[in-house]
Amino acid sequence: MNPLMNPKGAVAIVGAGSPGLFRTSEDSAITLAHKAVSLALADAGLDRKKIDGLIIQIGSPRGQDYDLAASMLGLNTRFNSQTWSHGRFGATVVTQAAMALTWGLADYVLVFAAYNNSQFGRHGSKGRPSFAESLREGGGPHAESPHSGLTAPVAGAGLAAQRYFHKFGIDPAKLAEVPIAFRNHAMLNPEAVMQKPLTREDYFASRYIVEPLRLFDCSVPVDGSVALILTTAERARDCAKAPVYLLGAQGIHAGPNEFIFGQPGLGVNQAEEFDWQPPADQLVYRMAGVTPKDIDAFYTYDAFSPNVLWGLERFGFCKPGEGADFVQNGRIGPGGELPVNTNGGFLSCGHFNSWYEMLEMTRQLRGECGKRQVKDAEVMQWGTPVGDAVIFGKNPA
Amino acid sequence: MTIAIIERVFPVNPEGLLPAVNADNQRYWDGLARGELNVQACDGCGRKRYPIVPVCPYCAGTTWSWTTLSGKGKVYSWVRYQRGYLPEFEDLMPYIVILAQMDEGVRMFGRLIDKLGVSTPLKIDTPVETLIERWPGGRCVPAFKLASAK
Repeated sequence: MNPLMNPKGAVAIVGAGSPGLFRTSEDSAITLAHKAVSLALADAGLDRKKIDGLIIQIGSPRGQDYDLAASMLGLNTRFNSQTWSHGRFGATVVTQAAMALTWGLADYVLVFAAYNNSQFGRHGSKGRPSFAESLREGGGPHAESPHSGLTAPVAGAGLAAQRYFHKFGIDPAKLAEVPIAFRNHAMLNPEAVMQKPLTREDYFASRYIVEPLRLFDCSVPVDGSVALILTTAERARDCAKAPVYLLGAQGIHAGPNEFIFGQPGLGVNQAEEFDWQPPADQLVYRMAGVTPKDIDAFYTYDAFSPNVLWGLERFGFCKPGEGADFVQNGRIGPGGELPVNTNGGFLSCGHFNSWYEMLEMTRQLRGECGKRQVKDAEVMQWGTPVGDAVIFGKNPA
Repeated sequence: MTIAIIERVFPVNPEGLLPAVNADNQRYWDGLARGELNVQACDGCGRKRYPIVPVCPYCAGTTWSWTTLSGKGKVYSWVRYQRGYLPEFEDLMPYIVILAQMDEGVRMFGRLIDKLGVSTPLKIDTPVETLIERWPGGRCVPAFKLASAK
């Protein structure tokens, strides 16, 4: 098979590791990285010298940049890359690793995110290094406009949620089901930072942060690290554990119709308002040769609980505006028809920008998840409201 | 038709909250100081746009004319800050920020200066009018008030 002609199954995850997620960690970002990388190498049964590609998702000041990271971790890498220090590039980074491998730019690509958040101010406050982005020409990455008092990503999500509830006539109370389902998942995952049961009473008693979003609609900021090692399918067979194959991918979308929160057509920020339906033949499904019905568990960027509805709608698990009904009655919780974020997600496991979800999919497809194992799991998907996605499979085809 | 300008008093001196003025957007910021809300209208497709950019997001046209908005619009969406992030806005808590659909087509963010009850909802499509706040140092920024309120 020429991987350039048919990328499905050409690349696999062969190593995955994390020391865990923490509300606060005393470790530096590079020490956190070191711990995850060592675990991933051991998991793959690979010598450090084999690593010749490196992609970092969160660089300085929250994490470490590729140049120093390589030297500080004793790596000699001939392909290096790093994305903008925002969480949204998880699928893009995995895809970039696959491209580097299929083009022969590297044989083993190490991908990691490692950051110590707790030493910086609250997201949206001026103490946060990323606050400068709020003053970008045209506004911040989540529609921040500080001179309007509009700051923090939660406000952009809140503006999209408010419009979404209005457009589709949705009762905001239905949102409660999302954090509750994810807490139920988290309670089966000893590595999740939130372990106490979350009831409907707890949810409705919680204060608004930026109305309409409540405390429990917001993710839990954490320190931590996750490392993955990817290689070609041929090399993967010689690694310690069963490979988890990358079956399909799709990039993050941008343009006048895209805003980081909501779905196309919602019209928040400057995006156009129109009736939107997800395309029936999205690339990620075409490439993987599956449909949403084949997905055994779905993982999405639940920085805020409405993101889950938008993620499900973006990929056609339900129709636009039907996400809030779709998630009711435990459908996305443990043992549900479509488990979502089985690790507990950003809302209860910890906000780690997709990396803990990538790790979780790897473990699920290897059958390593104990009490929360999705039975007979073969195909799993990451996908976000802005269209980026990856599909992994237990089998290459 | 000019828009009323009010002085904004802050509990702390506001720092680092204003975007830079540059050659692209100077006409927008200068307009505010005169009580005008100026945005671009594409010469190609005719659509008005905001923020100020050299290429039309809708047709990629690269020439435009400036146009002055009436300042009238409707609430397209809104949020209410119940937790504070910026010391400059702490005295206004809880405060509402709206995304306004302006009558002429663009959407703009701005704080709603009216004080509503802490749990009083704001209806989407409620008519609003622009007003302009002059900040210490002279920079002027748009904000909104309910159109029914005098």
